[in-house]
Amino acid sequence: MFEMIEQPVVNFHLYPSVGEEDWRYCFATAEVRTLGAGMLSKTELLNMANAVDFADAVDLLSSGEYALPARADLAEIENILLVKRSEVRKLACGLMDESIAELFEARDDFANMRLALRRTLTDKELGLDYSGDGNVAAERFEDIFAREDYYSLPFYLAEAVEEAVLGYYQNKDIRQIDYAIDSAHARHNIATAQRLENHFLLELFRMQIDLTNIRTMLRLKFTESQLRDVFLAGGYIDPRRLKHCIEIDYEAIAPLFIASPYYPAIEQGVSYLAAEKSFLKLESCCWEHLEGFLDSTDQISAGIQPVIAYLLKKENEIRTVRLILTAKKNFLDTKLILDRIS
Amino acid sequence: MLANVNATRMELLGLRKRVVLATRGHHLLSEKRDEISRQLIGIARKIKPLRKKVEAELLETSRRFMMARASMEPEDIKSSLEIPIRKFSLLVKFSRIMSVEVPELLQKASGEIICYGFSNTSGEMDVALMALDRAFESLIELAEKEKQARLLAVELQMTRRRVNVLEHVLIPDLKSAIRFIFDKLAEAERDNTSRLMKIADIIRA
Repeated sequence: MFEMIEQPVVNFHLYPSVGEEDWRYCFATAEVRTLGAGMLSKTELLNMANAVDFADAVDLLSSGEYALPARADLAEIENILLVKRSEVRKLACGLMDESIAELFEARDDFANMRLALRRTLTDKELGLDYSGDGNVAAERFEDIFAREDYYSLPFYLAEAVEEAVLGYYQNKDIRQIDYAIDSAHARHNIATAQRLENHFLLELFRMQIDLTNIRTMLRLKFTESQLRDVFLAGGYIDPRRLKHCIEIDYEAIAPLFIASPYYPAIEQGVSYLAAEKSFLKLESCCWEHLEGFLDSTDQISAGIQPVIAYLLKKENEIRTVRLILTAKKNFLDTKLILDRIS
Repeated sequence: MLANVNATRMELLGLRKRVVLATRGHHLLSEKRDEISRQLIGIARKIKPLRKKVEAELLETSRRFMMARASMEPEDIKSSLEIPIRKFSLLVKFSRIMSVEVPELLQKASGEIICYGFSNTSGEMDVALMALDRAFESLIELAEKEKQARLLAVELQMTRRRVNVLEHVLIPDLKSAIRFIFDKLAEAERDNTSRLMKIADIIRA
């Protein structure tokens, strides 16, 4: 049904190469670099995190594109940020080749599909609250899943639905839907990047798979879960090594990855997890590692790489703004915010 | 009380029996009151740290949940938490503490609290849900203890009122009625004696 993915080998020190230049993206690169210059800097985010209260944090955003009403509630902020995210996605996808844009829009398709499938299989109301940023229109989901006409979906989604339904009916465990969809999504990303012969995308997706697998491994260990076959295939790290890590002590995990590019992230994340019983640092370090790779696209004069880097960094910026404002609104400790974002 | 008293020997005997009964009742109710107080203090001592623990756990849960919610995309949160797989049932059993029927809550949970995949969710969500799971156990225990304490407190108040009524109203009233009848009967006895003495004098004269 689906092809086997070969286990790739790490042949770089910290970040893989970002690939070659593509002069068709000359204008797009210039545009995203100009837009990138207007993004919130690390200092601005830290100032927001250190703001006295919510109003003060909102005030710091007033001069930029995130100007928010001072008395806005969280639902209002959420909506504003969702609109912003949609705009950014539309802009970035407009600058990409159609096939690459489809790949990024498929993220919303998979998310919508997960929601619709969970509702269908548990006999819940299908609803209309799906994301409208995907390749498949949000209003079509209810109709397709009500009729169970999965083959009117694009092939990669139909295949994922089939796999998820089979997984669910094995032991009627709702989580199998997520594992199947996550796995199908990762496979689709890798297969598409290989088909498009896009080196940057391939490396990016492998890195994302690795970082997801590392987080998954530590989450399984922390929750003392018996699940083992939930790692995504296609990354640099062999899932067998991750399974082994679940069985050993926290102190012994990081040295196992000393020769891998993820060592600094794992070392910091694991020690924070063991000390604070929290994944904030690990998630922050994983993003920092990915961001380092995205930042290395600066060496490209023109290409799809800076456009993708802009999209991912902008999405993260929106998430960070939401995180800081939510934390400030709920009077959470500044240290928590700093641990997550710095 | 005194207005309705018939100053007869039968009434006196009846009242004396009632005093004995009321005194025994007072004694028993006092003992019940003391025991309920002891039980209530024991429960209240358990409630205080339990409440603190529950509050801290709920605060921790909400703090973690806020962080997880803010760092995840809204559609991922929706799909992750919409269909929980942990099933929870609560069995209410009643037991008796000093004849007060108090509930005992027995909880039974099955299935895992983490009901989603790992790719699009935050580890903080796992931590939040696990903290909630822990807090829930303590929360049920707290609910049980608080309900027990409330029922015992109501019973204690009622018993205390009964003891007070016996001690300060019923027993003193009965005793004063007994004294009244005793005095009346003694007065009648003296009256009778003096009348007989007078008749004897008249006969002798």
